Amino acid sequence: MSSQPQTALPPLGVGILGAGPVTQAIHLPSLARLRGTLEVRHVMDVDPQVAESVAARVGARFSTTVEDLLADPAVDIVAVCSPHQFHAAQVIAACRAGKKAVLCEKPFAMNGEEAAAISAVSAETGVPIVVGAMHTFDPAWLAAEAAWGDLPGQVHTVRSSIVLPPNPRFEDFATEIVGRVPLPSRDSTGPEAIGAMLTGGVMGLAIHDLPLVRRFAPDFASVEVLHADTVRPFGYLISLRAGSVTIELRAAMNSTWEPAWTFEAIGNDASLCLDFTPSYVHAGSATARIRRAGTTTVLGPFGHNGYEGEWREIAAIARGTGSAPSADTLLHDLEFALAIAGGEAPAPAREESLA
Amino acid sequence: MSTALSVHAATESEGPVAAVIASLPVSFAPHPATPASAAPDVTAVAGHAGWTRRAAEAILAGSRAVVVTAPAAEDPQALAVVAEENGAAVVLDQRWAGSPALAPSHDAARAVVTEALEDAVLLDSVAICAPGEDPLTLMADHLAAVLQSGVDLDGLKVVQRSSSGYTLAGKLPNGAPAALQGIATASVPAAATISILTSTGRTDITLPDPSAAWPAEVRSVTASGSTTLPTIYESAHRRSWRRVRRLLSTGRPSTDLQHFAALFSLLTRLNS
Repeated sequence: MSSQPQTALPPLGVGILGAGPVTQAIHLPSLARLRGTLEVRHVMDVDPQVAESVAARVGARFSTTVEDLLADPAVDIVAVCSPHQFHAAQVIAACRAGKKAVLCEKPFAMNGEEAAAISAVSAETGVPIVVGAMHTFDPAWLAAEAAWGDLPGQVHTVRSSIVLPPNPRFEDFATEIVGRVPLPSRDSTGPEAIGAMLTGGVMGLAIHDLPLVRRFAPDFASVEVLHADTVRPFGYLISLRAGSVTIELRAAMNSTWEPAWTFEAIGNDASLCLDFTPSYVHAGSATARIRRAGTTTVLGPFGHNGYEGEWREIAAIARGTGSAPSADTLLHDLEFALAIAGGEAPAPAREESLA
Repeated sequence: MSTALSVHAATESEGPVAAVIASLPVSFAPHPATPASAAPDVTAVAGHAGWTRRAAEAILAGSRAVVVTAPAAEDPQALAVVAEENGAAVVLDQRWAGSPALAPSHDAARAVVTEALEDAVLLDSVAICAPGEDPLTLMADHLAAVLQSGVDLDGLKVVQRSSSGYTLAGKLPNGAPAALQGIATASVPAAATISILTSTGRTDITLPDPSAAWPAEVRSVTASGSTTLPTIYESAHRRSWRRVRRLLSTGRPSTDLQHFAALFSLLTRLNS
C-alpha cells in the first residue's frame, strides 16, 4: 500500500489540542506522510513554549487555549490529544464549533455520563467523531477482517499481550521531543495503588485492543472480571469472561528493548494472530495470520500503521467519502473498557502450591 | 557392544513406538512374539485411563521397565509400589515435560530459566490441545512442563474452565504473578509456551507436539541482546526411550512416578 494517497482537492486543515509526546512522535510524523491531504494549521498546548515549538515544526499557528484553536477558520478537523480528563469537554466544544470532524485519542470519555453527552452533541451537530483506536485502522487488521470468514462465530478465547519499554525509548526514535514531563514514580503497593494501576492499565494500555476484543465477544455487556493482578513496574494480568468467551489480558511495561504486541482470537477450527508494531516508531502495519488446520494465511505487513490509517479515514469522513463509526460502536467500546476497569475480581479460591 | 533391549508395545501404540525404537536400533529391538519367549525387557503402555493397572501387569509379567506414553491423570501410588517391589523402572513419556529442552542435564536451558526467575515480573504460559481432548489431561501435561522447566508456583487456583480450556493463576516465589492458560483449537498444532518476563527482557520456551521431531526453542532476551539456544531435533518420545535405556544400564531408579504423584495430588485438589 502506498503511504501517499493521490488527491486533487486542497488539503484539509488540522488543529491539535495538546502537543505532548503523542502529538509530536505519532501524529505529526503520520500527518507529514499525508501532506496534500491533511495539513496541520494550528497547535494548542497549555505550555506556550511547547505549543510554539511544535507548531513551528509544521509552519502552523499556535495558541494556549482551546477557544483560540476552535475559532480558527483554517481548522477543519480537530484532534484531541490532551490528557484523558479533558477529552470529553474538548470533543463537545469541537463539535459545537462546527468543525468537519473530530479525532479524539482514546479514551474519549472517562465515564458513561460524558460518553452520553458526547453522543448527544455529535447527533445534534452532525459532526462525526472518530476515536483513535489505532489498531482498528491498522491495514493488517482490516485485511484480516475481510478474510476471516466464519471466525468470529467460533471464537471462544481472546488474548491480548503487550510488552513494551517505557514510551520515551520509542518516542526518541520518531522525533525530538520538547517539553517531556518525567514519568512519575509509581507506588505498586497497597490496595489503592494496585487498583489505580489496574484502572490505568486498562484505560491507558488495554484500551488499544479492547475494540478488537469486543469484536469477538458478542456478549460484551456481560463481561466479568474473574481475576486481576498487577505486574511491576507497570502492567496487569486480567482474566475476563464475556458470555462464552474467555478473555485474557497481559501487559508489562518493563525496560526491555524488544517490544511484543500480540492479539489472538481462537476458535475450534480457526484462529487469528496479529503481531502489531509498537506505537511511536512508524514501523508499518501489523502482520496478521489466519490459521486453519494445516494452512496459514499471512496478511501484511503493509507500509503504514493504524495511526496513519485513522488519519486517512478521518480525511475521507471529513470530505464526505467515508462513513463515521456509529455512536453505538464508540459507546460500546467505552462501556466495555469502563466495565473492565471498574470490575472487581472475586476473592481467591482453591489455592494450591506446586513446588 | 551392548545388547538391544526387547520391546513390546500394545497394539494401540504399536506404530508410534515402532517408529521411535527404529531410531534407536542399537538400544532396542522388537520383542519376538513367540509363545516360548520370555517377557520383554521393556513394555510400552498407552497412557489412557487404566494405564497404572496395565503398567503394573507388565511389570508383574516380567518386564524390567515400562514406558507410558501420554499418561492421563491417574493415581500412580499402587504402580509405584509394584515397580519398587520388582525393581522395575517406570518412565513417563509426557509430550512437553519429556522434551530434551527441559532435561535436567540441559545446563544452558536451566541457566537461562534460573536467571529469568530471579528477576521475573510475570510468567505467562499457554498450552494448546485439539478440541475434544480431556482438559484434565491438558492441564496435567501443562503443569508437568512448567514444573519440569524449573518453575515453582505458589497459591495456584483455577480462575476459569470450560470445554474450550482453562486459566490457572498463582505466584512465582518472588511474588510475581503467574498464569497458565489451556486452549482447545485445531487451528495450530498442539504446543506449550512458557514465557518469563523480567525487568529487562524475557525467556521463552516453546515446546512442540512430539508427533514429529520439531525442535523446542529456548530463547532469552537480556539488555545485551537475544540468544536462541541450539535446537535439538529430538522428540519427547525418543528422549523418553533413551532415558529408559540409561536407567536400565545404570540401575538408577526412576523418579517419574514420584513427580507424577505430586502432580496428581495437585490436580485432584484443583479440580475438587
